[in-house]
Amino acid sequence: MPLTAPRFTYEGFMPTDVVMPQMGESIAEGTIVRWIKKVGDSVERDEPLFEISTDKVDAEIPSPVAGVIAEIRAAEGETVPVNSVVAVIGPAAAQAAAASPVASPPPPKPQADGAATTKAPEPPPVPVQPSAAAPLASSAPPLPAKSGGDEGMERSSPLVRRIAKEHNIDISRIRGTGIGGRVTKDDILAFIGGSTSQATADRGAPSPSAAPAPPRPPQPSAGRPVPGTSAQMSPMRKKIAEHMVLSRRTSAHVHSVFEVNFSRVAQIRETKKAEYERAGAKLTYLSFILKAAVDALRSVPVVNASVDGDSIIYHKDINVGIAVALDWGLIVPVIKNADSRSLLDLSRTVADLANRARSKQLKPDEVSGGTFTITNPGVFGALFGMPIINQPQAAILGIGNVEKRAIVVDDAIAIRPMAYLSIGYDHRIIDGAVADEFMSHIKRSLENWDAGQA
Amino acid sequence: MPSEYDVIVIGAGTGGYVAAIRAAQLGLKVAVVEKQKALGGTCLLWGCIPTKALLEHAHAFKVIQNAKEWGVSLLSPSGSAAAATIDMTQVHARKDRIVTGLTKGVEFLFKKNKIDWIKGTARLTGGGGVDVFEGEKQTLHAGKEIIVATGSAPRSVPGIEIDRRRIITSDEAIHLREVPKSIAILGSGAVGVEFASIFRRFGSSVTIIELLSHLVPVEDEAVSTELEKSFRKQGITSLTGAKLTRARAGADGIDADAQLSDGTSQSIQAEYLLVATGRGPVTAGLNAEGVGLELQKGYIKVDAQYRTTVPGISAIGDVITLGPPGHPQLAHVSSAEGIIAAERIAGMETRDLNYDHVPGCTYCDPEIGSVGLTEREAQERGYDVRVGLFPFGVLGRAKMSGETEGFVKIVAEKKYDELLGVHMIGPRSTELVAEATIALQRESTVEDLIRTIHAHPTMAEAVGEAAHAAHGAAIHL
Repeated sequence: MPLTAPRFTYEGFMPTDVVMPQMGESIAEGTIVRWIKKVGDSVERDEPLFEISTDKVDAEIPSPVAGVIAEIRAAEGETVPVNSVVAVIGPAAAQAAAASPVASPPPPKPQADGAATTKAPEPPPVPVQPSAAAPLASSAPPLPAKSGGDEGMERSSPLVRRIAKEHNIDISRIRGTGIGGRVTKDDILAFIGGSTSQATADRGAPSPSAAPAPPRPPQPSAGRPVPGTSAQMSPMRKKIAEHMVLSRRTSAHVHSVFEVNFSRVAQIRETKKAEYERAGAKLTYLSFILKAAVDALRSVPVVNASVDGDSIIYHKDINVGIAVALDWGLIVPVIKNADSRSLLDLSRTVADLANRARSKQLKPDEVSGGTFTITNPGVFGALFGMPIINQPQAAILGIGNVEKRAIVVDDAIAIRPMAYLSIGYDHRIIDGAVADEFMSHIKRSLENWDAGQA
Repeated sequence: MPSEYDVIVIGAGTGGYVAAIRAAQLGLKVAVVEKQKALGGTCLLWGCIPTKALLEHAHAFKVIQNAKEWGVSLLSPSGSAAAATIDMTQVHARKDRIVTGLTKGVEFLFKKNKIDWIKGTARLTGGGGVDVFEGEKQTLHAGKEIIVATGSAPRSVPGIEIDRRRIITSDEAIHLREVPKSIAILGSGAVGVEFASIFRRFGSSVTIIELLSHLVPVEDEAVSTELEKSFRKQGITSLTGAKLTRARAGADGIDADAQLSDGTSQSIQAEYLLVATGRGPVTAGLNAEGVGLELQKGYIKVDAQYRTTVPGISAIGDVITLGPPGHPQLAHVSSAEGIIAAERIAGMETRDLNYDHVPGCTYCDPEIGSVGLTEREAQERGYDVRVGLFPFGVLGRAKMSGETEGFVKIVAEKKYDELLGVHMIGPRSTELVAEATIALQRESTVEDLIRTIHAHPTMAEAVGEAAHAAHGAAIHL
């Protein structure tokens, strides 16, 4: 790890306060989800220190300085105002003293109370690349934005990372059986194959020559709830719950479902896929639907609008949120100015945002400002969904599973890739005819895709 | 009182001697029982080493035959131009020197690791006991484990009787003191096509009879087709899809009939018939069934960690079967298995071998190196397959060496860009396959091969270019 020269001459001598960062303009407080480091642990600068959850994002906060954790002032699960001190990092020289039994860490406590992560126990994060998701209100210099996920830091293989990306899997959750604990293709395929209980056959165990995994804090996995017990909602869960009920109360929800023939899109996708791959992007059905929706939003502005009291605000920008399912909840990163982006750019952006959502690397302004949302229940096999509007927006598009179905073409039965697209809209400002016009626009675009667009 | 050991290895081939060394390195007291006069088994005495030595001779001869092209003049002592000829006495002398040097090397390694070589034939007696017969009987006892590594021997097909004079196996072919005027070779696996290349280069007229529709049938079909093309150019006759219906040895040669793919019959006369139809397990005198080992078609059944059905007895190498689809009989596979068995016995945790990642090298001319799935196998396993192919002939390095045949072919799948197999035929393929093997072992994608810098000018550039081709287009094509 490259050494970073101390930024201040007194660094290394004076204790440094670590504060709850300001994660966005409108955010006043944050909840400590998990302390990655304990009192007495030494920490490198930029090494993840704790995880927070705010109204907008969950993020890992890196340490502003190198040193030893002298004090932790906010317990896991505690919500504190922005800029309040949550920990103190002492100079590295004081390590021996700080690590002495006098300053012993608080006894481990069950973390179900307030722990937002629903992840399976994971190894202590390796020093990850500086995260742009956590601009600290402290002395830390601005950190470079990172371009991709951080799966590369786990021991795995190129193929495993590719599969993980495809299936949106956090590799750190998989137990590696390869040399030195490497996650292998078999490991990840077993993991995907429905099992968090990976095969633990002796043959798969890492050899003793491999460094033993560091002890992990006992962490009840909310991913696998224990029947007969109750658990505190995570801050994210609470937020989702409030938000959904509020939306149901606020908007006059109506749903409408359209069937779309994806033959044309499938055909173009096939011919363009390799080209996109070479350009580092994945051309998915979602890319096409997103593009079609953006075009439709432009031609039917009331769908890209909000209600404010008695007025309708027609948004100038088209900012499309994409719902991303996480193991510990749900987040909606937003593609800003989606109407000014090419299909290639959209494809790249969707993949990038989804990856960073899963690795908790989203910036606060990347989850705000949406004017319309797309959700994709189809990936889980749903024929179609009846989605709830993401307030204060006016509509939400649901994508069903694209699959081959028998349909009637020119009085003959034909097999075509078909999907149901559904829209949930706010009847306060969007009437049925308008919603259907919007959906017809999408359907038309997808069924008669102009190859020049891709 | 039996001599007491931790581990007794039966057979000192590349499986057995490597297992023995590894076990000794891990602190175990090891004995190896070997009946031959030298250590090293098939690989050192009759197989890999001597055949490849002959192929190097053939290659040297090829270069000298093309002396004019290289600007080299061959002159007799009188100063007149001389034709290149091959002196088989010198060829065998050099080959034997190499073999002896290597077998002595294994003996040295045994001494260094304090491994006892017990000369004789082993017989399992149960409960960790091994009797060794040579002159008088010796009794050994393994406290931990016995590793059976008795290997394989050439075997014929029904109806063709090997007399070891005119109808011969690779064991005899390697020792032929003269260059036969003509030789028929039954079977076109590695052994068949390697001897075809050797004898053709030395000047024999060569006819290959292969039952299946292609030469080297285990290879990717594109590789087979390329070899057939090259053999045709070199004047080797390949009868594919042909069945040898009869073969009779005479005093000076053989007389045989083959039924060709079109149903017609062809009679074949040659000085020798080399039967290269495969190898069968060696368990004679071992008392395998007597101690309860499960055999399948003569092979010892083992699990993925080479444990037989009898506790305390493991088996590795050519003599084993892991069940269908069959176990590769290759020196380097036996060694890898030997290391795993030894480490497991020593109490280390080990991983199963991935038999999809076993490299195969065939030293015919042009050479073949391959690892992983062929295009057909990949399709049969349901992958959405894409391939990339790049010919060596385009490369500067190939032109310089005057070896412009062949290509590298990459078999990959589309969804994750997974590298599934790499197949090459042409100059240095047996060396180049090492890169492909590590790429598969490390679970690389095709893109990883593209992003790996391949030095210029080398034959290895073809690997990077084939990867480019799999993604759409090679740079230099």
